[in-house]
Amino acid sequence: MVIKIIQIIVYPILAFIIGIFFIGLSRKMMARIHRRYGPPITQPLIDLIRFFYQKGFSHGSIFNFGIILSLAGSIVVLLFIPFGRMSPLSSSGGLLVILYIMLFAPLGVALSGGEGANPNISIGISRKLILSLGYEVPFLLIILAIMTYYKTTSITEIVKIQQEAGWALFSIPLFLPGIAYLLILPAIIGMRPFDIVSAPQEISSGPMVEYSGKYLALVHIEHAFTLFIGIALFINLFLGGATNIGFFFLKMIVLFVIVLIVNAVFPRYRVEQAIKYLWKWPTLIAFVGLILTKIPIF
Amino acid sequence: MDNALEKEIKSKFVGIEVFIPQKDRMTIKIKKENLVDILSFLKDKEFNYLTAVTCVDWIDENEFELVYHLSSFRDPTHIMIKKRIPRENPSFTSIIPIFKNSQTYEREIHELFGIYFEGNPRLIPLFLENWKDKPPFRKDFDTREYVKETYDSIPTLEEYK
Amino acid sequence: MDRNQIAKWLKSPDKMARKYSLGAVYFCTGCGIIEIPPVITSRWDAERFGVVAAPSPRHANLFLITGYVAVKTLKAIIRTYEQMPEPKYTVAFGSCPINGGMYWDSYNTIKHLDKYIPIDGWIAGCMPRPEAIFIAVTKLWMMIDKDAANGYIRYREHYDYYRRNQEKVLGKLAWPPLYPLNKSIEVERKESKSKEYKEKELLSVSE
Repeated sequence: MVIKIIQIIVYPILAFIIGIFFIGLSRKMMARIHRRYGPPITQPLIDLIRFFYQKGFSHGSIFNFGIILSLAGSIVVLLFIPFGRMSPLSSSGGLLVILYIMLFAPLGVALSGGEGANPNISIGISRKLILSLGYEVPFLLIILAIMTYYKTTSITEIVKIQQEAGWALFSIPLFLPGIAYLLILPAIIGMRPFDIVSAPQEISSGPMVEYSGKYLALVHIEHAFTLFIGIALFINLFLGGATNIGFFFLKMIVLFVIVLIVNAVFPRYRVEQAIKYLWKWPTLIAFVGLILTKIPIF
Repeated sequence: MDNALEKEIKSKFVGIEVFIPQKDRMTIKIKKENLVDILSFLKDKEFNYLTAVTCVDWIDENEFELVYHLSSFRDPTHIMIKKRIPRENPSFTSIIPIFKNSQTYEREIHELFGIYFEGNPRLIPLFLENWKDKPPFRKDFDTREYVKETYDSIPTLEEYK
Repeated sequence: MDRNQIAKWLKSPDKMARKYSLGAVYFCTGCGIIEIPPVITSRWDAERFGVVAAPSPRHANLFLITGYVAVKTLKAIIRTYEQMPEPKYTVAFGSCPINGGMYWDSYNTIKHLDKYIPIDGWIAGCMPRPEAIFIAVTKLWMMIDKDAANGYIRYREHYDYYRRNQEKVLGKLAWPPLYPLNKSIEVERKESKSKEYKEKELLSVSE
């Protein structure tokens, strides 16, 4: 019991550190791909400290509450995902809970967008909800395929089965949903070509445009958590999880570098092109994979 | 080509002066004719692109001179049509019914020279903000005096304290 | 750079964080817009100094005014400057904000920009080279260390001086004053008469 409480406190701090490290790594690697030196890897941390020392404006108390709601939603999702041997809140329906609490983050920002009277916020939120509609369809097919094959809905069970019987990515029926998940992963964590939501040049960073001071720092912390959640979920479902934190971190870095190289090369989709892509090939591949799991030979 | 056009203009409208200073250029000066007739005539003759409308301030002769620049996409010819108007209470008709893109040029000339164009629906300020003095492009506007009065007379922070 | 000295971070983290993470609102009007893309792209890299483009004035720290300022631009500059959160620094490029520069006798440009919004540092040149911009950033760091970059404190304390100058050039401003004004400026506003040039059509057209 005491160990669970310690884990609940330590786990978000670790996730925050890893998320900030990933954001800094992405800026440094993008700079090196552009053949220039970049900022140091600790630059997002310096940005955060600067935001905490700025005296910002506030548009009212609902405006402040929205970002706190979205941060709370992200932390609750985080506690359901096993990280090595740490899994504070594990239950028999863990996968289903994650599916619907993952949508708290944009809804919290949408709540505060009504109070900040800037049209960029509404444009950003509508883009985020349309994009969620786009990637939820193949995402649900993939999760359905996993649940049918392993006959359970708890993530810790799935990780345990994979550690005995081999990774899910290399088993025949679940190979195709794994490829489909890799194709929609940039849309879940908000990297190019799908960083439509916070597009800095087009709509001056979308829903984040009216935050300043300490609430902007909370937005960046929430972005770090989203990055961690997106990658950790893929590793737990398809790459077997890991028995301790070090191996988990190694797998995360390899996957993140692949996503980052795609991020550095591609420009940005429009929202209708993104939906056309997300509903065509990943959906088809995931659907074929779902049919394959029902055939009793595999 | 230019000589044929010159003969045609001189035969159709009496009493206007047509110069050809060099190849592919023509200058037409109007005294009393209707500008609208000449512009429509030239527009039918393939000169259907109004490049600009400009203005010159002849302060010694007490007149403004409006210059209309036309050009054609087929031949590389450029025609200037010059018209003088008196300098007190200057006003003129707008040529928006013939060339629609003259609206912004006339707006600029109204703001900077003070000429009123009847028929132009949009004579609001284009560049200047909070302007309460003479139109600045006239030759009797002293820009150095205006700058000394408006900008240099503001004290710096040390002098204010 | 003393970015790696942990002792300094523990002693005064606010100064170090404000120095090494300057989010710049690139208010690019005038001539200087052509000098900004070389500074932020691969050859002279500004991101290694911590200077990054902020997408909105609410996220920003540093305000770069590049080039001359027309009267219409001054309206936009004041609105952007008042939206930025509190410890903010302003740097002006070129010789036009210093004393008018090339447009010293023009009827439509602002000659001394320091009388309208507070400026911390000027960079000489017409336009300055990217190396000069980086030297200016390091000098700004030294000023922040010594607490000498206090333009925003000047703006807050002498707000009626700045507001009076802004209203002299721009007419009556459409936004309310940012800080409470003293009583003396209200009396002055009623007493001043502006000279009107009486011409037939110029007064009847307005925005």
